[in-house]
Amino acid sequence: MGRLEGKVAFITASGGAIAGATARLFGAEGAAVCCVDIVEENVNQAATDINDAGGKAIAITCDVTDDDAVRTAVDKTVAEFGKVDVCFNAAAYSEKRHRLADMPLDMWKSVIDVNLTGMFIVARHVIPQMQAAGGGSIINVSSIYGVVGAKERPAYCAAKGGVRMLSKSIAVDYAVDNIRANSIMPGPIETPRLLARNPSIEAVIERHGPRLHQKRLGKPEEIAQTALFLASDDASFTSGADMIVDGAYTAF
Amino acid sequence: MGMLDGKAALVTAAGGGIAGAIARRFGAEGAAVCCVDVNEETVAKTVADIEAAGGKAIARVCNVADEAAVKACVDETATIFGKLDVVVNAAAASEPLHTVANMPLEVWQEVLDVNLTGMFLVSKHAIPHMQAAGGGQFINISSTFGHIAWPQRPAYMATKGAVRQLTRSIALDFAPDNIRANSILPGAIETNRLLARTPTMEQVRAKMVPLHPIGRLGQPEDIANAAAFLASDQSSFMTGSDVFVDGGFTAV
Repeated sequence: MGRLEGKVAFITASGGAIAGATARLFGAEGAAVCCVDIVEENVNQAATDINDAGGKAIAITCDVTDDDAVRTAVDKTVAEFGKVDVCFNAAAYSEKRHRLADMPLDMWKSVIDVNLTGMFIVARHVIPQMQAAGGGSIINVSSIYGVVGAKERPAYCAAKGGVRMLSKSIAVDYAVDNIRANSIMPGPIETPRLLARNPSIEAVIERHGPRLHQKRLGKPEEIAQTALFLASDDASFTSGADMIVDGAYTAF
Repeated sequence: MGMLDGKAALVTAAGGGIAGAIARRFGAEGAAVCCVDVNEETVAKTVADIEAAGGKAIARVCNVADEAAVKACVDETATIFGKLDVVVNAAAASEPLHTVANMPLEVWQEVLDVNLTGMFLVSKHAIPHMQAAGGGQFINISSTFGHIAWPQRPAYMATKGAVRQLTRSIALDFAPDNIRANSILPGAIETNRLLARTPTMEQVRAKMVPLHPIGRLGQPEDIANAAAFLASDQSSFMTGSDVFVDGGFTAV
């Protein structure tokens, strides 16, 4: 008996490492999963993996900044699985390193659009479905950089700080509908995305130095396990919370 | 001898209650102040007050979400005063009460444009002048609603959470240029803005004073006191900080 038996999850960025691991875990725990991503090939792979493992998943290619496309994706999920009661919002990207004064306005806006407005758009379309289902759990992926600063990433930091408060706003407004909303703040996680910005895992560990108290990066599965808790009924009194999953990075 | 003698400041929303008090205090402390607002009448009044008290000020009408207008305004301030080394980012809009699911995308976008992108734009164009001046101070007005949640204000809260992180980003990236950046998080401050949602100040007090252990609403001057400290050399080791000026609202 899986921990998410009978639940239907809508997961953005599930072609990526963190949301992909979450989608696979949710599928293995019995949830029907709608895998959403902007990259068709990756999202199809995530859904195929879940189905191959005996789970239930569909793939939808969708840009979270496109209001109509998101509405259609949510409607399609309901048509396929009957409801939506878990939403994992992970779509995000980071600007190329710039200090604020050197950052073009277009670059700022595109990061804010995906990382912050995208979460607003997904939330506004899943909430009515959760209300219809009698409740739900929204899990928004913020970052430790929604809590502390990062060098040369003003838009990413601002968006992730925004995500944290957006989650609390939803938690307060929809508590009456039995909808919970929480943020997860991952520390540095070993993903292909991290390697795109850095020469090697060792270089990342070296750069973060004494703040990586476990002398290692986090794994996507460790974020997925936190998401599983928040999606499950074990977290029934957890709402509006900041779940920092960073190996004590921000504690020091 | 004022706390801010010889400094040149730009204050956005200076026609409003809080930023107006900050501008007046800065003028009284010896700073030359460029008062910026979208409302020509109210900003002219602030300048007249500063001048009547023997201070130096100019008024500029400018929408902070308009990049060309912001650049012209900031550059002109530096030309007129010979430099620019203090910026108070206070321009902010708040949505009519909505939850995420019933908020139109345009309402969300408008709040983000003013509160977040406006702050990005003013900062972006002020930084080169601070670098030229050998340093500077940013005082960004966040809110207790950048820290805790409140019903039906998702866009306002998301932006105020983002402001705290944008401020830390600036603090980190421009520390080598001797530029400091800090956020102020005001509690309920007695301004006309509070009357946007509640008919009388008596009703505001009845609702909000019990939430503030100090037993009263804050006054705009309470925020101006903190801003003067952050703009002055007394706070020379403070950067990237959240300064709560909330009468204990978030301490309980």
